[in-house]
Amino acid sequence: MTRHLNCIVPPHILDRLAESSDAAVREAARQTLLTTARLRGQREVRAGLLGVSAPTNGRRSVFDCRNSTRLSNAVLVRTEQGHASSDRSVNAAFDGLGATRQFYLEVLSRNSIDDRGMRLDGYVHRGLRYNNAFWDGQEMVFGDGDGVIFTDFTGSLDVIGHELTHGVTEFTAGLEYHNQSGALNESISDCMGSLVKQWTLKQTAEQADWLIGPEVFTPGIEADALRSLKAPGEAYDNETFGKDPQPAHMDHYVDLPDTDEGDNGGVHINSGIPNHAFYLAAVAIGGYAWEVAGRIWYQSLRASTPTTDFAAFAQTTISKAAELYGVGGSQQTAVREAWEQVGVGTTVAARGGTKQAAAVIPPPREELVRQFDELTAQVNRLRSELLSS
Amino acid sequence: MKLTLAEHGGLAAALRLGQPPVVLDLSTLPDDEVRQLTDLLSAARADPAPSGSARTAPDAMSYTVTVEDGGSQEVLRRTDTTMSREFAELLDRLRRLAVKGG
Ligand SMILES: [Zn+2]
Repeated sequence: MTRHLNCIVPPHILDRLAESSDAAVREAARQTLLTTARLRGQREVRAGLLGVSAPTNGRRSVFDCRNSTRLSNAVLVRTEQGHASSDRSVNAAFDGLGATRQFYLEVLSRNSIDDRGMRLDGYVHRGLRYNNAFWDGQEMVFGDGDGVIFTDFTGSLDVIGHELTHGVTEFTAGLEYHNQSGALNESISDCMGSLVKQWTLKQTAEQADWLIGPEVFTPGIEADALRSLKAPGEAYDNETFGKDPQPAHMDHYVDLPDTDEGDNGGVHINSGIPNHAFYLAAVAIGGYAWEVAGRIWYQSLRASTPTTDFAAFAQTTISKAAELYGVGGSQQTAVREAWEQVGVGTTVAARGGTKQAAAVIPPPREELVRQFDELTAQVNRLRSELLSS
Repeated sequence: MKLTLAEHGGLAAALRLGQPPVVLDLSTLPDDEVRQLTDLLSAARADPAPSGSARTAPDAMSYTVTVEDGGSQEVLRRTDTTMSREFAELLDRLRRLAVKGG
């Protein structure tokens, strides 16, 4: 069964394309919008039948997979109305989803992942000894870890913030998950994931640890975390899995193949560069990182597109800093200098098989039509599933 | 027969980069272990890989199981979001045998 709907084209782009001067593009966009709207209607009807009113405002549910990899077999174990569970993982997932939801709402005025109150579903105890956590486009999935290297992934708030932010990115810029746009996608998740934790702990940029996943390792493993925004490349260095390969500067950008084996062009590697720029900007601005730097980055994400690369994103943050806090202000200077320090500038040649640096070139018409067709097919599949269930 | 398991991607993708795959030489295993493995392999094979891109779930992991038997080679590729229950069982069995074998 197809469990999730992959929105290849973000809604705001669809809206714009529906106004296109090209009749074929206009019609394809209109059809997709129409089908999506119909689907949403059905979801609301279904929610109504279940006695739940829509919109849901990020209503949380946690499911226990009981070590199966099949999410459809999981049992509902905690809801907004219910009591806390006796299972620590269930409560940690529930609280993490809540903290992330509140961060987006209170700090960035965003109503859940899609800004329309999308429900937040967490699945814990997925699989046996599963060393991972991920967002699948519809829900968040947590493994227990193998107990040798990794432990329960629900224990890390920045990891939960990281994964849910993949959902936010999908609904906004839709950054393609490979090469520079993919590394930027990863970086946005790390930056916001760290901010969720900083905001929860009420830490200043100076006080924060700027680590991602310090809790995911077993006590026997010598590692600070999965990644460090403060010191990319220094999160770990041990016998078991070597040294943290993240670069902190464009001079050390790692060119990897755009394959599974190459981490889609090193999306989890090169994210170190924009991660460090964010850290540098936040520390230079001072105070709470979510108040200024976080706001600039979030607004820049909203203004980005699927193929935005490092240089284009840097340019956008510099413009947004000026828009929000004034041209030539200390905030804009801090942002510009941060990117300079990591070697990302608008004059630097693009690397990593990326497309244009600053200009946004729309994909060819045939590609758009193909994407619409694919999306429409997916929507229709999901619709018939909903109707038959 | 030789089985190889390579794991990629996920939240901790950077740690997995460059890690050697798990390799199991079935000739070194007891008969009933081999029988169970080949049964799991048949079950995993019977469930074809769903079509579509694996990139819809950013931090989902992907897995490549390579079966080498005499001169022939077969490759099964699945991801966290596209694997069957049978493939998940095969993965877990391969990992546990690898740990046992050191
Ligand atoms: Zn990620």
